[in-house]
Amino acid sequence: MVDCKAIRGEFPILDQKIHGKPLVYLDSGATAQKPQAVIEAESDFYQTINAGVHRGAHELAARSTMAFEEARASMARLVGAGYEEGREELVVTAGATASLNLLATAFGNASLGSGGKAAQAFALHEGDEIVISKAEHHSVLLPFQELAARTRARLKWFDLTQDGRIRSDMADEVITERTRIVAITHISNVTGAITDLAPIITRAHQVGAIFILDACQSVPHIPVDFHTLDVDFAAWSAHKMYGPTGVGFLYGRRELLEALPPASFGGSMVELAWMDQPAQYMEPPARFEAGTQPVAQVVAAGVAADWMRQLGMEQIASHERALTAELLKVGDIDGVRIVGPTDSEQRIGTVAFDLQGVHPHDVGQFLDSRGIAIRVGHHCAQPVHRHFGIYASNRASSGVYNTVEDAQAFIEAVSEVRPFFLG
Amino acid sequence: MNDFGMSDDDLEQMYQEVILEASKNPHGRASFAPDMALEESSGPSGAQSTVRASHEYCSPGESHQFNPTCGDEVTVHVEVSETEPRTIERLVWDGHGCSISQASLSIMTDLVAGRSVDDAMTLEESFHKLMESRGAGLDDESEADSLGDAMVFQGASKYPMRIKCALLGWAGLKDSIAKALVA
Repeated sequence: MVDCKAIRGEFPILDQKIHGKPLVYLDSGATAQKPQAVIEAESDFYQTINAGVHRGAHELAARSTMAFEEARASMARLVGAGYEEGREELVVTAGATASLNLLATAFGNASLGSGGKAAQAFALHEGDEIVISKAEHHSVLLPFQELAARTRARLKWFDLTQDGRIRSDMADEVITERTRIVAITHISNVTGAITDLAPIITRAHQVGAIFILDACQSVPHIPVDFHTLDVDFAAWSAHKMYGPTGVGFLYGRRELLEALPPASFGGSMVELAWMDQPAQYMEPPARFEAGTQPVAQVVAAGVAADWMRQLGMEQIASHERALTAELLKVGDIDGVRIVGPTDSEQRIGTVAFDLQGVHPHDVGQFLDSRGIAIRVGHHCAQPVHRHFGIYASNRASSGVYNTVEDAQAFIEAVSEVRPFFLG
Repeated sequence: MNDFGMSDDDLEQMYQEVILEASKNPHGRASFAPDMALEESSGPSGAQSTVRASHEYCSPGESHQFNPTCGDEVTVHVEVSETEPRTIERLVWDGHGCSISQASLSIMTDLVAGRSVDDAMTLEESFHKLMESRGAGLDDESEADSLGDAMVFQGASKYPMRIKCALLGWAGLKDSIAKALVA
C-alpha cells in the first residue's frame, strides 16, 4: 500500500485551509497537484542549466539537451514506449489537446499528398470513415470531426451502454472496411469507466485502420503499456499526472512516426531548407517539435514520471481503487444519480453525479464553502452528458494523495446540499 | 489574496431566501424554446421558437443566451409596443440553469415587465454595475432602490464564476429589446 500520509506531505498545496476548512482536493481529473520534487525540478532547471536544447555548442546547451532527452526517456519508461536514440516514440507537445490536433492535422496534410508515398497510410478519401465514441472529450471529437469535414470522410461513433460504457461489443459493426482511423478514450473523464479496448483495437487492425488512444485519464491512474495494448498513437498531458501544465506527449509506433508528415513548421525540425524547393525534414521526434520547447516543464514532467514509477503504478491504482469504492457511496444519497458505472469494477475514482433538483454550479458552490474542490459543468464532454439526459454534472476525481477521510467529507457535504437548496 | 469562495455565512448571504424562493418558482418562465444544449443533433429545426406574438400592435424580439461553462441557456421573448413611449408589453422566457440564473430571470421579469424600454435599459445598466461591484454594491442609494429585490445579487457579485449566471437573463433582455426595436 502507498503511505498516503507521507505522500500528502510532499504536496505543499494540500496543507492549507479554504474558507476556514481543511482543503479536500477532489479535482485531479481537471489537473493534479504537484509534489515538491516536480516544483523544485522546474525552478532548479532555471537556476542551474537553462539553455536552448538541440542547438548551440556551449556547456549549458549540452546539459539542458541531455536533461530534456532524459525526461523524454523517463516518460517513455512509464508508458512502455521506445526511448533509445533513433528509436524514440514520444513527441513533446503542448498538451494532450495539442497532441490530438497534431495527429489530425498531419493526417489532413497526408490526405493532401504531403509526406509522399509512405504517408499515404494516413491519407483519407471521400467515403472513408473515422470512428470515435460518444464518451469522447471534445479534444478527440472536434479535431477528428474537423478532419472528416476537410477530407469528406464520414465520422461515426460507438454508442454507450446505459451506464455510460463504450459498446466494445459493437466493434465488428461500427468499424468497417472503410474505417481508416479509430480514436477512443482509455478512460472517460466523466464516467470514469475503463474502456474494454481489446475488441476495438483488434477489429481496427483487422481492417487496417489506425488506432489512437486518449490516455489522459489512464496514465495518471493505472499501469499503461502502449506496446502491450498495441495502440498506434496515444495522447496525454503531464499536468494530470502530477507534472507541470503546458506539456503533453504524443506516443506513436516508431515506424508510424517515421512515415507521418509534420503538422507544425519552423525551427529545429528541418535538416535542409531552401528558397526554391521543399525542405527536408528531420527524423521523429524532432520533426514534430518545431520551435522552442518548454524545456523546464518537460524536465519536471520527467521527474513526475519517475516519481510515479517510484511509487509504483500498481500501488497507485490499488490505493485509488479503495477510494473509488468510498466515493461511489455518494450514490446512496437521496436524489443522487451516478453518471457512469455504479460499481468499482473497471473504473477509476472519477465519479460524476447528478443531484436531482440542484444545479451543478450550486452544488459546487456549496461544497466549496466546506473547503471541498470538485468540478462542475460538462467537463468538455457534452455528448456523454446528453446520453444521460443532462447538461452538466458534478464530478469528484481522486488522486494518489486523497484519503478515505477526503471521500467521507465529500459525501457528508453532498448529503447536505439538497436540504439546503430544496428545504 | 482574494478569497473567491465562501464561508457558511457567505453562503447564506449569497443564497438568500429571496433567491432560493425565486429559483424554485420563477416568474415569467414559459415553455416555448427548445433545449439547444440537450438536442442530440443540431439542425434547422433545432432553434425554432414556438412562441407567438400575442399583441398585434407590438413588435416581438427574441434572444437566445448560452453559458458555455455550464450549458445554461435562456431564450428571452419580449413584445414592445409600437407607439411612444415604447413599452415592454410582454416578457416571457424559457430556459434552465442554476438557482442564481433562474432567480435573476424571475426578479428581472418582475422589475421590467410593463415598464418602458428606457426604464428597462436604465435598470439593466444599474444591474450590470451592481454585478461588477465585486460585492461592494451601489453607491447611489436611489439607484440601489430602483433595483429592488435584484439587490440580493450583491452577494453573488463577489464571485467571478457566478456573475455570468446573474447576467445571463439581462443579456437576453437587452438583446431581445434591440431586436424588437428594429423589427
